[in-house]
Amino acid sequence: MKKLFDRVFDGADEMYALAQKTLDETIAELGESAPVAMPNTAYGLATISAYLAKQVNNLGDLKAAFEEAKTWNVHEPRLTNIFNMGKGTFMAAEVIEACKYAKDPDPYKGEYHGHLSDAEVRELGVPLVTDDIPGFVVIYNPAPSDEEAVELVKGYQTRGIFVFLLGGVIDQVKRQGMNFGFNVRVVAVGPDIWQVAHIISFVYRAAMIFGAVQPGDKWEFDDYTYYRIHAFVNVFDPVTDIVVACGAGAIAMGFPVITDDEKDMWRVPKSILIQKDTKDWIETSLEARDIKIKITNIDIPVAFSTAFEGEIVRKNDMRLDIDGSKYDTFELVRTAESHLIEDHRIELIGKDIDEFEEGESIGFGMIAEVCGKDMQSDFEPVFERNFHNFINCIEGVMHTGQRDVLRIRIAKSAFDAGFRFQHIGEVLYAKIKSEYEAVVDKCQVTLITDPEKLHEARLEAKKVYDKRDERLGTMTDETVEVFYNCILCQSFSPAHVCIVTPERLGLCGAVSWLDAKATNQLNPTGPCQIVTKDRVVDENIGIWEDVNENVFKCSHGNLEQVTLYSIMVDPMTSCGCFECICGIEPFSQGVVIVNREHQGMTPLGMSFPEMASMTGGGVQTPGFMGHGKQFISSRKFMKAEGGPGRIVWMPKELKDLVRPKLDPVAKELYGIDDFTDKIADETVAEEAEAMMDFLSENGHPVLEMEPLI
Amino acid sequence: MKEMKPFTTIEEMEADTARLKEIACELCIDTYEDRKKQQEPHCKFGEDGICCRICSMGPCRVTPKGQYGICGADAHAIAGRHYLRMAAAGSAAHSDHAREIAHVLHKTNANGPYTIKDPDKLIANAKEWGIETEDRDIYDIAHEVAEVGLMEFGKPFGTLRYLERGTEERQKVWDAEGIAPRAIDREISTSLHMTNMGNTADAEVLVRQSLRVGMADGWGGSMMGTDFTDILFGTPTVRSTEGNLGVLEENQVNIIVHGHDPSFSEMIVLAAESKELLDYAKSKGAQGINIAGLCCTANEATMRHGVRMAGNFLQQENALLTGAVEMMAVDVQCIFPALGRLQECFHTKFITTSPICRIPGSEYIEFTADDAEHAYEKAKALVKSAIDNYENRDRSKVFIPEHRQDATVGYPTVQIIKELDGVTNSHIIDDPRGSYKPAIEAIKSGVLRGAVAMVGCNNPKVRADYSHIEIMKELMANDILIVGSGCASQAATKAGLLRMDAKEICGDGLKRVCTLVGIPPVLHMGACVDISRMMLLVTSIAKDWGVETTQLPIVGCAPEWMSEKAVAIANYVVATGIDVYLGIEPQVKGSTQMMELITEGTRPICGAGYVINKDPHELVQSIIAGIEKKREALGI
Repeated sequence: MKKLFDRVFDGADEMYALAQKTLDETIAELGESAPVAMPNTAYGLATISAYLAKQVNNLGDLKAAFEEAKTWNVHEPRLTNIFNMGKGTFMAAEVIEACKYAKDPDPYKGEYHGHLSDAEVRELGVPLVTDDIPGFVVIYNPAPSDEEAVELVKGYQTRGIFVFLLGGVIDQVKRQGMNFGFNVRVVAVGPDIWQVAHIISFVYRAAMIFGAVQPGDKWEFDDYTYYRIHAFVNVFDPVTDIVVACGAGAIAMGFPVITDDEKDMWRVPKSILIQKDTKDWIETSLEARDIKIKITNIDIPVAFSTAFEGEIVRKNDMRLDIDGSKYDTFELVRTAESHLIEDHRIELIGKDIDEFEEGESIGFGMIAEVCGKDMQSDFEPVFERNFHNFINCIEGVMHTGQRDVLRIRIAKSAFDAGFRFQHIGEVLYAKIKSEYEAVVDKCQVTLITDPEKLHEARLEAKKVYDKRDERLGTMTDETVEVFYNCILCQSFSPAHVCIVTPERLGLCGAVSWLDAKATNQLNPTGPCQIVTKDRVVDENIGIWEDVNENVFKCSHGNLEQVTLYSIMVDPMTSCGCFECICGIEPFSQGVVIVNREHQGMTPLGMSFPEMASMTGGGVQTPGFMGHGKQFISSRKFMKAEGGPGRIVWMPKELKDLVRPKLDPVAKELYGIDDFTDKIADETVAEEAEAMMDFLSENGHPVLEMEPLI
Repeated sequence: MKEMKPFTTIEEMEADTARLKEIACELCIDTYEDRKKQQEPHCKFGEDGICCRICSMGPCRVTPKGQYGICGADAHAIAGRHYLRMAAAGSAAHSDHAREIAHVLHKTNANGPYTIKDPDKLIANAKEWGIETEDRDIYDIAHEVAEVGLMEFGKPFGTLRYLERGTEERQKVWDAEGIAPRAIDREISTSLHMTNMGNTADAEVLVRQSLRVGMADGWGGSMMGTDFTDILFGTPTVRSTEGNLGVLEENQVNIIVHGHDPSFSEMIVLAAESKELLDYAKSKGAQGINIAGLCCTANEATMRHGVRMAGNFLQQENALLTGAVEMMAVDVQCIFPALGRLQECFHTKFITTSPICRIPGSEYIEFTADDAEHAYEKAKALVKSAIDNYENRDRSKVFIPEHRQDATVGYPTVQIIKELDGVTNSHIIDDPRGSYKPAIEAIKSGVLRGAVAMVGCNNPKVRADYSHIEIMKELMANDILIVGSGCASQAATKAGLLRMDAKEICGDGLKRVCTLVGIPPVLHMGACVDISRMMLLVTSIAKDWGVETTQLPIVGCAPEWMSEKAVAIANYVVATGIDVYLGIEPQVKGSTQMMELITEGTRPICGAGYVINKDPHELVQSIIAGIEKKREALGI
């Protein structure tokens, strides 16, 4: 039997030789000064950067970096060398891919995903910490049959595991017509083993973004990937030496490899596992990586998994369209007396799905009534807001909107599988009972499609919303007794702490003050703890001794002080999964805000990934701050620096989103109408000069403010 | 790398010793270092093993002009006889220790003070020996097991029962080569008889008997001592503890238990836990009662109770020199008679407890199996008198070095299996729990290169603990897992190598294994008597692997050995098919034949031998080379 280490030696040599050849050819074609860059990232060639702390800007740099990478290829039979060689193999793979992107910034033309953007990394921050994505799998090589390939991928998908596909398995799932893409958490990375470089780059950027791991800090990278990235690898027979060398790198990072190939394969506990029964790979793999899946058994005819949260149901695939723009729609959680609730009762008032025409647009209402001795009405909106997540996890059902403006699409495939309205009831019932078992004793669900009843019920619901808004309106940082912290992200970003207040929700956008309060009450020792606000230091810029103490303790001494309302003085840190980032714009002395989804440039001369890379991982960078979208229209946004009137530029899409709340706040603060229209966007300016012209023309209030710096 | 608590360097340990030595100088009392100087140069004839004083015609010694003793014995016979006598004495020590434990087992009683703590192990042992266990009172079984065990010492016919635990191949070798031991006492007796005036003069025959009398220890006395101790006091499990003199407490009553036989120290530990005595200690102004161990008593007590370890063999005088010890209570083996004089300089009470070990200057309070019924009461009285002594501590004389290290201890074979179970995968049929397969897979694949049993004493002939620590660190850096016992594992403890985070100074292979399994890189398996555990470990690994013990990339190493017990141990380890690397030369150098026999001559007999090198750095390189050679032969 060929020794395991010898296989790694040969496999690494093979990848290095291929990288050398590709690099030589590319340099011959483009010259050493030709630029090298991966699209939509601020981290350059992340793997090379992580290991060698080298910035690669052109092919000449790449050549120099590769020379250094070669010193990692030492044929000595010790695992330290084997691990280095595995990582070196990844660097060599990255060289190959970088050459490809140097020749063509879009080399895969949509056929494969190739490089993953920084925004995609950041998007996964929240689902990773909440365990909605309990792990990642990389699947390589074709499965014994196309059906089995799909079964495996779907099996992971339904467990919420993010799937990266490499090589022949991609064709198999394509042939089976499976729906894949980043939004459904199945990414076809590329056809060859060296495209593994994109996955490794993705992982190292997660470490840099969320963990603030510094380039070159090999020990920290190993620690981060081992303890915080729950990935593993499935490779179908045959496993060649070059794959074994990549496996060495994966194992070095803490990711076990599961295969059915026995030839010259050596078992290593929790690292190389030979499982001949490929049907049992999922369970074998999850156990090997110590991933425990939270199982919600819901009796519905389609799959239920967080992997389907981002699934899109297109018009042509649609059986039914619930359209809040034309008909009555709403969703509501209400607390009721215990004797009025029959647990697990699901009632449909009106017609069911099969009774409507195919493609018909209708109205729809959902009421979940709950009771429990620890239930509080403040929890109602918290549960209710999660209807979106719950319903989206159903395979073939898409939910957008909230309260009484909903859009829900039900796919033909789901309908054909037997999906009916009662199943939405089952999902709501099961999720509310399992997620909030600490406070919910009983739950019943009423679903309405009957237009008359629906209209009545919607009006009732509206009253509840209004009452809530009234309460929310009076709920300010000054009126509440306490704030909360949120350290949910510390599993990923150990040095970061969020302070959540009524007027400043968590930067991920997912944790409002009420959410934090509910989380605290549901689990008093959990991730959200009470932060008192008794000892005020400076209410204007938002400094409390209590807050500082809490931040110091919870960041493990990393942070000594944060302000809640300033971006210039000790701004609040971020984990990296912020919805938006703002940064100072020197000409206007205002701030530019850009959301994660925006792909283009900003007047700062930086894109979202570039701005985002300035902060994150619990690092304080005055002048840059990550935050949630809802925070933009808060009276407390940059209060110390003059408030939201400082905002000079936002992408149009973001402007439209915040306008309904931002305009009234600006009116209140500055006495001006239609403030949002005075903010520049990409349609009028992508660089500073044009933006300044726009601001002057529109009389933007920032021009009257004191300079920031 | 993240900041770590520092490891203790050999220089720091030596600085502590130097400071304590100054105290000794001030008190005009000698320590081993002074006495070593006084003894130098050592008698060359003695050192080379060619001084014969077996009969009163001599002493005779071999010189260029006198190649033979008066009886005609040559250098090989003289050195060989001396060597065999050392092995026999070592075997006698371990085995007599085991005999005492067997007697205690025979005295167990549901009402105590000695009870059965591991009935499963008792029943397994009873079944192994064909003793009826169904519907029987556990104490009846215990008494019968003890009786059958005691018969192993003097049975007239047959060989030792435990030999059947060996691999089939080993059993054949032992039988074929005539090294399967008969009754334990018989082998010791035979050895003394053979070396008596006018008997065996053939060095090879003497070496063969050394193997056999060693076997009587490792696969007899020691194995029984370990098993019966587990049955009596519980099979050890993983525990957190601390080690080095820094475990002595400024404001507590410090009692040191020292020696090897846990049936005494167990009672002291129990007594010290009683609320009555704790209250009493507080009434005397102490914050508590601090039991600390020395030598192998420390190893035994730490594995079963987490009792902290004050140090190893050459630390015994240092412990007293701290001036903070109210009582040093000893049982058997490795006790310096020097303690008798040293204690006179302090308030420390020096208590001897065994008829085997009587020392001038000590107070003798006998603890034997014959009087087992009163053991607990006597232990309480001892602890009480230590408490009474607390007020006599002269605080101006106290110096407690600050160094101490965290340690995770307690890895008998069952615990190792349990840890390895944690890395198996329940979905893979070929991945059974309850076996050493995970460790074997790690070795086969090259993640681990092999394993070394680090054992043995301290010896002033080399820098104390230096060889142990240097060798262990180099092995760790080369992905070689270490199992340790006796003073070797205490050296590791003091240096911090038993810490969970010691994996950070290992090669990536050993580090990964430690991380996945959740173990430190040096597994503490117990006292020197527990080297028998290591024999069962290699035997089971060989069985699970499907190869012979001689093929395994696993070796033993005793870089600082000094006791006759170590000679017995080295012999049974070699007889088990495991090479032994020694950092101190056995005293046979005056015979080229003997040197050849112990390094090479045993190989055709049992497939293993000694490798000797006084330089620890060279020794560890030869260990690594030896392991790699075994790997090459296996094609891994």
